[in-house]
Amino acid sequence: MSPRPHLIALAAIVVLGLLYAFGSKDAVTLDLVFTLFLYATLGQSWNWISGYAGNISFGHAIFFGCGAYAAALCTNAGLSPWLAVPAGALVAAALALVTGFPTLALRGHYFSIATIAVGALVDTYVRTQGWLGMANGFELPIKNGLGWLQFSDKGPYVALALGLFALVQLATLALERSRLGYYLRALRANHAAAASVGIDERRWKLIAFTSCATFAALAGVLYAQYTLFVDPPSTLALSISIDIALIGVVGGIGTLWGPLVGASVYVLLAKEVALRLGGSGKGYDLVIYGAIICLIAAWRPHGIVGSIIDALRRRRGAADVVSVQNPAEAA
Amino acid sequence: MSKPSIRLALALGVAFAVAPSATTRAADPADIVIGSVLPLTGPSAQTGAGLKAAQQLAADLVNGHVSYPLPAVGHDGIPSLGHAHIKLVFADSQGKPDQARAAAEELITQDHAVALIGAYISSTTATASQVAERYGIPFLNPDSSAPSLTARGLKWFFRTTPNDAMFAQNFYDFLADLKKTKKVAVHKVAVVNEDGLFGTGSGDAEESIGKSSGYDVAARIAYPATTTEVNAEVEKIKSAAPDILMMSSYLPDALLFMRGLKDQGVAVQGIFAQDAGFIDPGFIKTEGDDAEGIMTREVFSLEIKQRNQSVPLIDQLFRARFGGKPLDGNTARDFTGVLVLADALDRAHSTDPAAIRDALVKTNIPGSRTLLPWKSIHFDATGQNDGGAGIIEQIQGGKYVTVWPFDVAVKPVVWPMPPWKH
Amino acid sequence: MADAAVEALTTFALLVAGGLLTGLVFALVALGLTLVYGVMDVVNFAHGEFLMLAMYATLGLALLGIGPLVGLPLVAAALFLFGIVVYRIFIRRLLAGPPEATVFGTFGLLVLIQGAAQALFSSDYLSVPNRPLQGTLHLGPIALAQSALVEGAGALVLTALVFAFVEYTETGRAMRAVAEDRVAATLMGINVQRINALAFGIGAACVGAAGALLMLSYPVYPTVGSQFALTAFVVVALGGFGSIQGALVAALLVGLLEVLGGFYLSPELKMVPVYLAYLVVVLLRPQGLLGRR
Repeated sequence: MSPRPHLIALAAIVVLGLLYAFGSKDAVTLDLVFTLFLYATLGQSWNWISGYAGNISFGHAIFFGCGAYAAALCTNAGLSPWLAVPAGALVAAALALVTGFPTLALRGHYFSIATIAVGALVDTYVRTQGWLGMANGFELPIKNGLGWLQFSDKGPYVALALGLFALVQLATLALERSRLGYYLRALRANHAAAASVGIDERRWKLIAFTSCATFAALAGVLYAQYTLFVDPPSTLALSISIDIALIGVVGGIGTLWGPLVGASVYVLLAKEVALRLGGSGKGYDLVIYGAIICLIAAWRPHGIVGSIIDALRRRRGAADVVSVQNPAEAA
Repeated sequence: MSKPSIRLALALGVAFAVAPSATTRAADPADIVIGSVLPLTGPSAQTGAGLKAAQQLAADLVNGHVSYPLPAVGHDGIPSLGHAHIKLVFADSQGKPDQARAAAEELITQDHAVALIGAYISSTTATASQVAERYGIPFLNPDSSAPSLTARGLKWFFRTTPNDAMFAQNFYDFLADLKKTKKVAVHKVAVVNEDGLFGTGSGDAEESIGKSSGYDVAARIAYPATTTEVNAEVEKIKSAAPDILMMSSYLPDALLFMRGLKDQGVAVQGIFAQDAGFIDPGFIKTEGDDAEGIMTREVFSLEIKQRNQSVPLIDQLFRARFGGKPLDGNTARDFTGVLVLADALDRAHSTDPAAIRDALVKTNIPGSRTLLPWKSIHFDATGQNDGGAGIIEQIQGGKYVTVWPFDVAVKPVVWPMPPWKH
Repeated sequence: MADAAVEALTTFALLVAGGLLTGLVFALVALGLTLVYGVMDVVNFAHGEFLMLAMYATLGLALLGIGPLVGLPLVAAALFLFGIVVYRIFIRRLLAGPPEATVFGTFGLLVLIQGAAQALFSSDYLSVPNRPLQGTLHLGPIALAQSALVEGAGALVLTALVFAFVEYTETGRAMRAVAEDRVAATLMGINVQRINALAFGIGAACVGAAGALLMLSYPVYPTVGSQFALTAFVVVALGGFGSIQGALVAALLVGLLEVLGGFYLSPELKMVPVYLAYLVVVLLRPQGLLGRR
């Protein structure tokens, strides 16, 4: 289980991505690539708490929103959005601590519904606060330059998204090999057994939850500086949280490369299906999208990467049927 | 473990390489490309499809030979540019701000649009127009009503439609006119709105203009649009005992409010709606007699005393293209938006975006040469058309009839509205 | 002063009545959801879409001249069959996968059904023509919508029926056995797949009845389901996943909190007490109000 192949793959993606970011002038594809790495980052962030730790969250957008709103507030106040990087991350971490402390010990769907409740409370709070722009949200003024984290070209944005993704990917690789990762997997597989050998569920899950919340906040800062518009439906809504979760699941929950694969499928599919079937106002795009999620859930329930790992293991004739149940073991 | 990771990386590389071919399009070089950002998928897709058809109809009339008393149509394209045809290229916003931004970027960088039009949903108009501002491309917005859009100090942004603040002003102008002709006593106003972008913008304008016009805004009630009951809201209205209600609601909540007001016997002199739920065809069908007397702001009506004889003709053409559905406020505004751009192109004598912008600044089209009940199309310093105005319609005999401004009214206003029937 | 006190009390009584009736509507929608969860540990995220299909079915019957109340058994029967089919070809497969498969599988179903409804029926808001029961019932100073009273009564009757079925019939006992321990139930000779399919069908039939009743007061459109389902999820979790009585109690509580919160806080904040109550309850009782385990 050497990390080297993963590092090589990541390095290859970074090099190819950077070449593409600064070599291409194709704004549309660059936009797709930016979105892909942004979503992959969010998916990986979700994967920490929902994949590795096994607490399925439907409220991950609030951490993304912390970063996005921090960036909007900073830029509008004439402050550099670089300040929003620590500020957004801190707020997200604090929010994760405060909400995670009471909820992370909840089992199964009780936790998922709690994340929906927390998400709705945050959304309502933002909608009713004048200083947070209420329902109108914020536009960010155009101020080009690295200091303002705004660029007239897309290359630097893609490079930043790629960098953020690589960072989170490295952190996840480290997680998989750390005591934290080991404890989380033990808790996910059997929390009672894990507790009986002295693993403090709340403590370790809080560490994971807080860390991954900061990743999502960083993605939020980048999103706000890219889109230059932040409002509740585009950053805090339940639908954003569900998109993030779908990316994690389609790729393969609890796997290192699942979120990137999930984001690729999501971005390309959303664009392709919308392009070919949208425009009639008929909702055929939703039908196809829904059908694909159904098919994956029914026939590839471990996600794309999870299924590949399962298949490889089966081909090798590994006898450990147990780990097929838990792809986190394999990645 | 190494093999899948490498395969994965390869697969991704291929994905990047393949992606651009799917989105590349080519335009006839002689054509003038106008990019249109619309919600073609997502929750507003149905409206988007109508707007697309209306814009395409306008472009076809500009490129055609048949004259109507409308600007820029029937000259086989743009005369000052060698009768070059205009070509609309549509890009999908999915109703989302980030997608609208990407769509605008695509239209400018890949399709080389010389001007943009769109994007209906206010938050998508905000991001798409910001892209246009960055590239220095004129952006014509025919259909978004959030007042904040023209308060951003953008140089390349032009809005033909009246905004929500102007619609709110219309209500109070109407009340002032009404006081001149009838003895009405209206002091207390209750402002009720859903708490999204639309309702908040309308409600804010209604509240602030009401206060500055000397009315007592006795209640301001914002509620979540997705609510399934309005018990508390109706009780709050009841305890405020207003003379009139101003409502910004979608259909399900509009029906809930009607039910609640009837049950609790809340009687008001008038209900003013910011269209939306109250002009939905389902509203009158469901409420029947109880809908009588309700008023709404509108931007367009086929029933109005028309100052432009082409209205029924354009309506026929539109119906033929769009499954028999009549021209409405949204489609008439988007149709007009394309003509305003074509008119500016002709006066610009150039497809240079800066020249088009200069021509747009000098736009001055009399209202009688449009489909809409406007004084004129002329942009103020913020890019807002200052000649726009709404009309007020009232449900009488089971359909909406125009009752204000009085000079284009089809029927006299019924005031106060009839009491609830049971 | 006395007048003001009487008025405040009347208002309060009116809000309580409105809150309880609202709660009964939530109970109506939540019933099928909690039943399915109780038997097979599946949160059907497409539950709201089943409700939407039932509402369209009710509308279809109404257009043929069969009103919502007469059409109710037909809609419930149709949804029962639909539930069985969905279970047989889809849910059964999800149950063989990891726990998250049911979550995302049913979510995919949600998107699929919503898209199909948009394609078939467009996104227009549609109501039953000549809705029955549009009058108001006056109890002293308290005025209540007849439609809400009928919906509330329907919720109580349906909950009682399902409760009696699960508690007192042979099949109901088998369902409880499956809920307790699937393996033991199999060993006792119970056909778990058949019981699951039946439970899923009955859950769908419940939401079918709910859809027929809701057409008395609500229009139907492709996304109407999520409007009700989100609250239903909270109700079921608050009451305790799988508990029928818990869902009823939680629904009444949620209705009261929503209406009273809307009035005494602000309508914008009406859901805040509901979500806070959920968080407080599961903090003290992680299995919900009346849940087991």
